[in-house]
Amino acid sequence: MPKITVDGKVIEAKDRQMVLQACLDAGVALPQYCYHPGLSIPASCRICLVEVEGIPKLVPSCQTPVRDGMVVYSKSSKAIANQKAVMEYLLINHPLDCPVCDQAGECYLQDYSYEYGRSQSRFEEDKQKKPKKDVGENILLYNDRCIMCTRCVRFTREVSGTSELYVDGRGSKEEIDIFPGKPLNNKLASNVVDLCPVGALLDKDFLFKQRVWLLKQAPSISPVDAGGENIFLEYNEGIIYRIKPRYNAEVNTWWISDDTRYSYKAVHSENRLTKPMRTQYGTQVETDYAGAIEHADSALKELVKTNGAGSTYAMLSPMMANEEAYLLATYIRSIDPQAVLVLGPTPSSGADEVFKNPANGKVTFTIKAEKVPNAAGIRRVIEKLGGPKATFEDFTKAESAELKKLKGGWIVGGYLSAWLPTEVPALFKKGLRIVQDILPTSLSGSCDVLLPAAAWAEKDGSWENFAGKIQPFLAAVPPPDGARREGDVYYKLLGRTGMYNAEDVRGEMGEPFAQIPLPDLETLAPAPEFIEL
Amino acid sequence: MKDSDVIVLEEPKLSLGDQFYIPQVLNGLGTTMKHMFRVLGGKDRVVQYPEEKREDLAIEKGGMLTRTYRGVHRLNKDEEGRVKCVACFMCSTACPARCIHIEADESPWADREKYPAKFDIDELRCIYCGMCEEACPVDAIELTHVYDIVGLTRQEMIFDKSKLLQVYDETVKNEPM
Repeated sequence: MPKITVDGKVIEAKDRQMVLQACLDAGVALPQYCYHPGLSIPASCRICLVEVEGIPKLVPSCQTPVRDGMVVYSKSSKAIANQKAVMEYLLINHPLDCPVCDQAGECYLQDYSYEYGRSQSRFEEDKQKKPKKDVGENILLYNDRCIMCTRCVRFTREVSGTSELYVDGRGSKEEIDIFPGKPLNNKLASNVVDLCPVGALLDKDFLFKQRVWLLKQAPSISPVDAGGENIFLEYNEGIIYRIKPRYNAEVNTWWISDDTRYSYKAVHSENRLTKPMRTQYGTQVETDYAGAIEHADSALKELVKTNGAGSTYAMLSPMMANEEAYLLATYIRSIDPQAVLVLGPTPSSGADEVFKNPANGKVTFTIKAEKVPNAAGIRRVIEKLGGPKATFEDFTKAESAELKKLKGGWIVGGYLSAWLPTEVPALFKKGLRIVQDILPTSLSGSCDVLLPAAAWAEKDGSWENFAGKIQPFLAAVPPPDGARREGDVYYKLLGRTGMYNAEDVRGEMGEPFAQIPLPDLETLAPAPEFIEL
Repeated sequence: MKDSDVIVLEEPKLSLGDQFYIPQVLNGLGTTMKHMFRVLGGKDRVVQYPEEKREDLAIEKGGMLTRTYRGVHRLNKDEEGRVKCVACFMCSTACPARCIHIEADESPWADREKYPAKFDIDELRCIYCGMCEEACPVDAIELTHVYDIVGLTRQEMIFDKSKLLQVYDETVKNEPM
């Protein structure tokens, strides 16, 4: 392993690593705009130039491989003069509109201007003004803020492989553009907003919603498919404003799909169920939550008493956390030891969507076909608990003797969009139906007990992705008034004291759930590009 | 923490004389009388608010310097009568009392990007420190010298955008931007 010295600090680098990446890995900050570990290296922004002993000129640290015994200076007078010059050139035409720019607060140009720039402009002529452009369904391009790092262009060429963006013109007329009639609308498009080091590419969805320094982050997992993309929910005062990717080398690297990015909208949907209901004399009436839980409990017990064991079922939704599924299954088995566990519907889009780098054919990103996050985890929980179980297809047909005996049960929804299949299972129309869901369906309007539940952003838990990786997620916001987290309901039903604690339940569930480490909030490894100065 | 670090304080024991409180009451009455006689003798002066206001008096006669007084806020308007604020949230970020609530939106004007769709200041929560004024990059929010604001409910004392612009209209003559 080569050792290099950066500003007097000895750093161990990997073989053939670039100086900048070695510094970032070791936590030494070097300024950078165009460099991104997930993209090719153009060395075009020139702010990362450093002085290396034995080389007369400054070299771009992002493109210079390490050599054992290399001595690098990033704070020598020559290097600093370059940083200052680069900053001055970039700011010549950059508008002074930080107060209205959404990037302010997480803007490289702002940070570096503070760190490396000068506070006065020597430029006396008028700044160039370029119009803002609508480049895609979700993205706005403010060309006058652009610093031509070409990260976005490289992203569309190398990661999404769709090449919608290109550089038009040269010199001071150089700008990012789309080809006429070919908007930036691929399924990974909004990643360019995260990539943009300045406020040139902005998300229309987040535009002017909040200032970024007011947002708090909660580590979470994507709820839209089985890929298990790692995300941050960014929220303030109980409202989620946006979703940002969380770096995970094994799962999603730096990127997330647009479906994931805008999935938070279902959480704040106006249609959220917030009124617990129970059926009285054939019609649904509003009730209080404690009453609804009690009613559900006694109705289930009554059912088992009259029809004997094996007459109830629990439909565990693949939107549930493993812990919740375990608690519900434990509860229903405590009433009816022969209760049938059913995994809810797992909608699929047909085939995985694979993105490749056209240059070398390498797969850069995959959007899984299975559009639920935790089918694998629920299967594992059902397997672990043993006893009678059924697939959703069998449950719909209800042909076997075991399923024909079913008289009622507990149905959990929690999907972020309409989930009832076109062929509704007969058991969803008759018998005792206790439903926990977040959005209204025909089932929630006709069931015997309706318990409004919490969306994934409102509770702690863990999900298992398609590859068998179990990942925990933490709550960002509280559930809306009138809804309760499933875990709390099951704790109450099981007669446990205290509040639902996902970590405790995982410990109780045994391997492999017990060993899942929580995302370490102290040292949440940021993507290498986000090292603070 | 060790036990030796804990300091136990006991309430002082009152003597029998102290428990009647008569000397203390007389002492207090004495202070009142002292001030009464000072006013009667012409040494002290009571300002007869609201007939008489401190800003109208000379400083040496107990007057107040309005020039530096921080009173109710106003939102300034530009030459075209539009709200000057660009909804950058600097004031609400700087505010130690967290009394400024802004909702930003795309502006309806061609030459501006962003404007405040809502701008509420809770005048009861505000501590009139003037940090918002300091933080504002476009000189849109200012504290006026008006201090006699009244309302019958708490809700009334949450000044919204139109109210703050109205304060501007009322004060701009005496206090130009």
